[in-house]
Amino acid sequence: MEHNQEKWRYGFRLFKPGTPRKVKVRSLVFFFILIAIMFFQAFYWLFANKVEPLVWGMPFSMFFIVLVIVIEFFVLLVLYFLEGADEKKGGEA
Amino acid sequence: MGWIITIVVMLVYLVIVLFLGSLAGKGRAKTTLEYIAASRNLGFIITYFLMGAAIFSAFAYLGGPGWAYSKGAAAFYILGYCSLGLVPWWIWGPKAHKLGVSYGYVTQAQLFADRFQSKALSVIMGIVSILAFFQYIALQMKGSAYIFEVASGGRIPFWAGALISYAVVLIYVFFGGVRGVAWTNVFQGVFMISVAWILGLYLPHHLYGSPAEMFRQINQANPHHLLVGPGTKMSYPAYASALLVSVLGFMMWPHLFMKAYTTKSDRILKQTILMYPTFAIFMVPVLFIGFAGVLQVAPDKLGAPDRILPWMFNQMGWSPFVIGIILAAALAAAMSTQDTISHAAGSIFQQDVAEVLSKRKHSEKEATMWIRISVVGFGIVSYLIAVFGKQTLVALLLGAYGSIVQFLPLAVFTFFWPRATKAGAISGLCAGVLYNYLIVFKVVPKLWGIHAGIQGLVINVIVFIIVSLLTKPMDKEHVKKFVEV
Repeated sequence: MEHNQEKWRYGFRLFKPGTPRKVKVRSLVFFFILIAIMFFQAFYWLFANKVEPLVWGMPFSMFFIVLVIVIEFFVLLVLYFLEGADEKKGGEA
Repeated sequence: MGWIITIVVMLVYLVIVLFLGSLAGKGRAKTTLEYIAASRNLGFIITYFLMGAAIFSAFAYLGGPGWAYSKGAAAFYILGYCSLGLVPWWIWGPKAHKLGVSYGYVTQAQLFADRFQSKALSVIMGIVSILAFFQYIALQMKGSAYIFEVASGGRIPFWAGALISYAVVLIYVFFGGVRGVAWTNVFQGVFMISVAWILGLYLPHHLYGSPAEMFRQINQANPHHLLVGPGTKMSYPAYASALLVSVLGFMMWPHLFMKAYTTKSDRILKQTILMYPTFAIFMVPVLFIGFAGVLQVAPDKLGAPDRILPWMFNQMGWSPFVIGIILAAALAAAMSTQDTISHAAGSIFQQDVAEVLSKRKHSEKEATMWIRISVVGFGIVSYLIAVFGKQTLVALLLGAYGSIVQFLPLAVFTFFWPRATKAGAISGLCAGVLYNYLIVFKVVPKLWGIHAGIQGLVINVIVFIIVSLLTKPMDKEHVKKFVEV
């Protein structure tokens, strides 16, 4: 049954059929990085619930949050260009 | 006589947006696709500000400094959620965009109602959305009425202050449609962000010498103010769950979700998501404004924390012209949220409720007219609610406001779980919304300070999955359309 491509099942389906393995791995890796970033924001107090040292004029906690935002931006930037390069190669998505 | 100059500056601003917005849709086709979704033709800059204006609301401009002033570090959650709010859209934005192009959707409920083949779902979503919008608009109206009260030194009463700016919004939304909303948001966005930065950087430097010195003094005076957790204004679970529910729920707001249909391509959606964290950075100096006030005035003397921004510049002895600019920027924050909401509310009422329930199909021209009428109708009702609303009504709206995140499982299962069924979708959504209401009306206690939305979501997902598995799967070819985009 498993190898039969024609058999269509109703289970959870993360990718459409024929998605290259590279794209699947990349999507999952970035998904978990972004989930991690979300948890760093939600649980910032585990890491940086303090005022000193003041960095860039902000309490350490606020600096930490801003830093996570900057990291998030670069993660998205990399993802954007990787996906863009793919779409160019593949003609259309 | 100073207050007259202030009011004149604000009126000049109002006239500019009135013309900009009303003329934005001139010469375009008279179709619902154009009025609601700008014929799927908006580029990056416009989409960026369109989405940004939604978060730069009266809440951000008056409430953000208010939180920093009264709750301290709890306000950092605004930064986290603002930076991440659009990220889940990376997953469903492009999918919704492609399906919109293929099947002609222009609203959020059209997509889900088509997937689950249910008119009832469309109507339920429409009603919850519109109730939530009333609450959203009422918040903005309180903001703008307060701005006029400050500007006029109490001469302009609440009902008039709320009316003036909202009337301008309704006029340009009526004529300009989503293009009116978009173009005014670009202008309002640039305007309010510039003013916020100047204020946020000027105040700490002027009052304390530097932001670092400001925080040092706050920390000395009140060591708990810049922390979260026990002994502060926000507990750990409250902070974490508020942030998570806001991030997950943000893109479920119908007026934001439906912007997936206005862009030219899914690349533009992704560019917008990519650049969105900049809005969180723009919020940093806005919080500085509130922190700058901590050592300046005692909370009981100030009254409500939202009054911190006006209180600050009243102490500065600035010219009425400068105050007019600042207040116009605050007004821009409130209005740039009101316009998107009113536009979405009119569109949703006509498309997802009225059109679905009516026997007769309307022509494109008629439908567009009805959307315009719905926008104004929605505007009048929400104005009346904001001015005359009673306590029970407020609870009803708050419940809907908290229920928006309950749309999330619909999106996840539409795109990733073909087994999900109509019965599962409706019962899951109803269970989540109902549970949220039980918490709002205090029938059920709030567990461990965890956000009601998260608790509702858990119940929603469980019911959704169980009922789906108990009912007959939906047609294979039909569900394939949605999971294989």
